[in-house]
Amino acid sequence: MTGTRERKAWWAVADVVILVYALVPVLWIASLSFKPPRAIADGRFVPSEFTWSNYQQVFQLDLFTSALRNSIGIALIATALSVVIGTLAAYAIARLSFPGKKQLVGVTLLVAMFPQMSLISPLFDIERSVGLFDTWAGLVLPYIAFSLPLAVYTLSAFFREIPWELEKAARMDGATPFQAFHNVILPLAAPGVFTTAILVFIFCWNDFLFAASLTATTTSETATVAITNFAGASQFDEPTGSIAAAALLLTIPTTLFVLLSQRRIVAGLTAGAMKG
Amino acid sequence: MHCGEASGWRVVAAAVGLLLVAATLTGCGSGDSGRVVLHSYSPVDGADQYAAAAAACSRASGGRYTIQMRTGRRSTDDQRLQLARRLVANDSDLDIMLLDVIWTAEFAQAGWILPYPADLARHVEQETLQGPYETGTYQGRLYAAPLNTNTQLLWYRTDLVPNPPRTWDEMIQMAEDLAARGLPHYIEVQGAQFEGLTVWFNTLVTTAGGSILSENGEVEVAHGDAARRAMEVMARVATSPAADPSLSVAKETDARLAMEAGLAAFQVNYPAVHASVNTPGPDGGGGTFIDPLGRPTIQDTGRRVRDVFGWTAYPSVMSGKPATVTVGGLNLGVSTTSQHPAEAFEAVQCLRNRENQLRNAIDAGMPPTLRELYDDPAFQREYPAWQAIRDSLAAASVRPKTPAYQNVSIVISDLLNPPAEINPDTMLGQLTDGIAEAVKSEGLVP
Amino acid sequence: MMMTAQTGVRAPVSARGHQRVPVPEGVRSEHRFAALLCAPAVLVITVVAAYPIGYAIYLSFQRFDLRFSEQRSFVGLANYGAVLTSHYWWQALTVTLIITVVSVAIELVIGLALALAMNRTLVGRGLVRTVVLIPYSIITVVAAFSWQFAWTPNKGYLAALLPAGVAPLTDQVSAVAVIILAEVWKTTPFMALLLLAGLALVPDELLRAAQIDGAGPWKRLTTVILPLMKPAILVALLFRTLDAFRIFDSIYILTQGSNGTGSVSMLGYDNLFIVFNLGIGSTISVLIFMVVAIVAFVFVKLFGVAAPGAEADERRQR
Repeated sequence: MTGTRERKAWWAVADVVILVYALVPVLWIASLSFKPPRAIADGRFVPSEFTWSNYQQVFQLDLFTSALRNSIGIALIATALSVVIGTLAAYAIARLSFPGKKQLVGVTLLVAMFPQMSLISPLFDIERSVGLFDTWAGLVLPYIAFSLPLAVYTLSAFFREIPWELEKAARMDGATPFQAFHNVILPLAAPGVFTTAILVFIFCWNDFLFAASLTATTTSETATVAITNFAGASQFDEPTGSIAAAALLLTIPTTLFVLLSQRRIVAGLTAGAMKG
Repeated sequence: MHCGEASGWRVVAAAVGLLLVAATLTGCGSGDSGRVVLHSYSPVDGADQYAAAAAACSRASGGRYTIQMRTGRRSTDDQRLQLARRLVANDSDLDIMLLDVIWTAEFAQAGWILPYPADLARHVEQETLQGPYETGTYQGRLYAAPLNTNTQLLWYRTDLVPNPPRTWDEMIQMAEDLAARGLPHYIEVQGAQFEGLTVWFNTLVTTAGGSILSENGEVEVAHGDAARRAMEVMARVATSPAADPSLSVAKETDARLAMEAGLAAFQVNYPAVHASVNTPGPDGGGGTFIDPLGRPTIQDTGRRVRDVFGWTAYPSVMSGKPATVTVGGLNLGVSTTSQHPAEAFEAVQCLRNRENQLRNAIDAGMPPTLRELYDDPAFQREYPAWQAIRDSLAAASVRPKTPAYQNVSIVISDLLNPPAEINPDTMLGQLTDGIAEAVKSEGLVP
Repeated sequence: MMMTAQTGVRAPVSARGHQRVPVPEGVRSEHRFAALLCAPAVLVITVVAAYPIGYAIYLSFQRFDLRFSEQRSFVGLANYGAVLTSHYWWQALTVTLIITVVSVAIELVIGLALALAMNRTLVGRGLVRTVVLIPYSIITVVAAFSWQFAWTPNKGYLAALLPAGVAPLTDQVSAVAVIILAEVWKTTPFMALLLLAGLALVPDELLRAAQIDGAGPWKRLTTVILPLMKPAILVALLFRTLDAFRIFDSIYILTQGSNGTGSVSMLGYDNLFIVFNLGIGSTISVLIFMVVAIVAFVFVKLFGVAAPGAEADERRQR
């Protein structure tokens, strides 16, 4: 189809609308984070005065820096474990035939659709009795369980893309199934594994309900929860500037990930429905 | 991966690594020196003063223990959640906690705080004002020693109201008269759906001679006509032409600000409002300017709200019988999960001693609970309304003492909000049933 | 999907038409291998998801308040009776259903438009696809704060557009509208991605044929594109409906569930952590799970949505 200048112009307008849609809330938070306290209540979208003080304050807060450490650590550990476990299971689902495969896929999807609130009650009681409350492990475990469906789903789609011949050739050459998996398939699936890792990391980073329920102190409170607990000078004071600064800081890692690997993420998220 | 993407990823990895290192370094604290460390948790308000008290008491202990004062969450509700969650998880890093007065029964029944040793309890009772002391006991034993207290007075505009009202009905009448004359006339009360609404209701019910709940869990709200009269007062205030339109979402801060903005003629609020209106602000402080008639104006007339800021006792429900205002405040409790209870009780005695309570009162705006401090000239200078405060505390009421207080309070504030829609005929029954269910912790909370 | 084997060895074909990699040790070895690979996943899911849901059911039959821990007792279905006769539950359920239905409906329409734009835009396709992921990458809590600050009088740029003093977050109806808007903003891109996948399956030839037959863009949309996208649309609806039903973060930040804006998840959280009522909290948890299961069942059985995994298997069989 030939693109006439008029049609291009219309699409350009549509694109700008989409840009505004996606960026306005982010820009607003950024704007608030640069406003000094006295300008917070002026309701302007673009700040009239500009200051870094909110960021300085936020980094001096022990609550936030330890929360950041917790968030990064817990998310990385959960992502690593989830991807490893998910890769194994996804390979089996994509490649092998075994009894109970359909049920496993069904159960995995079921967990993806679980209302998380349904687990908070029992998990809280179990973790406090077992001593996992307010620990890193206490959060990592639910994160793995809830991100596994996403990981398995995405990874099995990537695995399906890899041609069978390579694997068969390796087996013909006498490799055991594991060797075929490790030496042939895994390197090819690396981009898929990478994308899955990002999706899982975003999931862990984003979580609020589990973190709010299963942590209580700076030992394991994640940053997502910490910003809801920021205190101003008094209990009636909402430290908008600090919250905005912290919020923007938290947005940077995941946004960077997403922007740098946009193509793969789109492919990963839509892979299952597109392929097969 | 393309080359461009790869280098992009290196940047990201470096950034994440830097963040992690920065967070770890700033998070590294100093190690303990090996002596007993008592972890203490306080609310955000007054954190500096509590920290100063902790430092002073650590020094005074002669090396036996150090008190590390940490601040908890921003709101009292979140503070309670954090403490309670840690207590049910047997967190031993909790020794001393600053507890809101309404948590005593709950924490005691749940086995989260230790009862005070009998001789220490006797000592506390002798030196503490009666009202605040009541808030720290449950089933006859002291579980939380009062640290500071709070009670409401009636603050009013002396230029608009030459003789302050004695009862709510008088006040409503005066406000309506002011409204008819086009002058500032709002009556500021805490009518939002929160704990403050329960406090208002409890004050009115006890003033009218009744009570909501007996200490052994009997629902008494339907006994006599006290609750009915209380509800009628609340409805009358909210539906009167003199009512502030945002009454149903107003909390303490909103009430204070409305008065400082010159819109209100009356407010029932805590003594902190007096300190607030007398605080020099960026524009001089003291509320807005007021014109000769009493209306707020932006012109510099030389007269501000603080110049006509008066106080008197909380209005009663019927003339002749003074009001029994429901007290607030903070008590000190020792957790059952603490590994050093003996040192903790010792530390508590120091944290609530004369100097520390005086510092809290003068620097942090929190009235003390030690009887003798009310005769102290330094305290009296800082609190010109000290007599009214002491009198109010002497005839104070407390909120229902039940471990299920959260449930009960939520039922009350849910039903009575918005106050303009209070209907005593239908609601008394609902209230009774709701509270009966809440006391047994049956039923849901919203 | 490249599944054709082009090696010299003829792979054994089972009765169902599956092609299997020839395994010297036989089928059992493959099953063993598969079991080994799936074991960690199964273990984690069992321990962290299956066991707790069973434990939740067990707790829901008990009267268990952590503040009265010695009064723990078995009460059968009494908790269920208490929840199902409580107007707080029905209010929360209604609010949740309204938010779910309205936001998913809006997301479907806007998501479709977004998917069409991502698919067919002639200008800056890469940029649009990238930017569209930003709402997905933002933490829900952060986005909720952004909206909360925006709608707060005096502080927010959106509140500035309203008459002075109006606080949308303090009134039930307007607050629910704000919550829906926040949800829609955050998850429409994800819906658009799911729809984009379905859109890609629509063959260009059909569209061109329709265009030659004189069908305008709207007609092409309704008679060609949408019917072919139906499976993808149903899958997207299923995922998003179940996802929207468990809304919590946005409401927690925007209104804390006050003024009757709480969802069922908020109700469970409040009963669990404000009054530490494990019995009632677990009951609510189980009821939420049951409602979600019913919705999923309706979608799968009645609307014929095929779970994507099963879909893949079916197609491989052909």
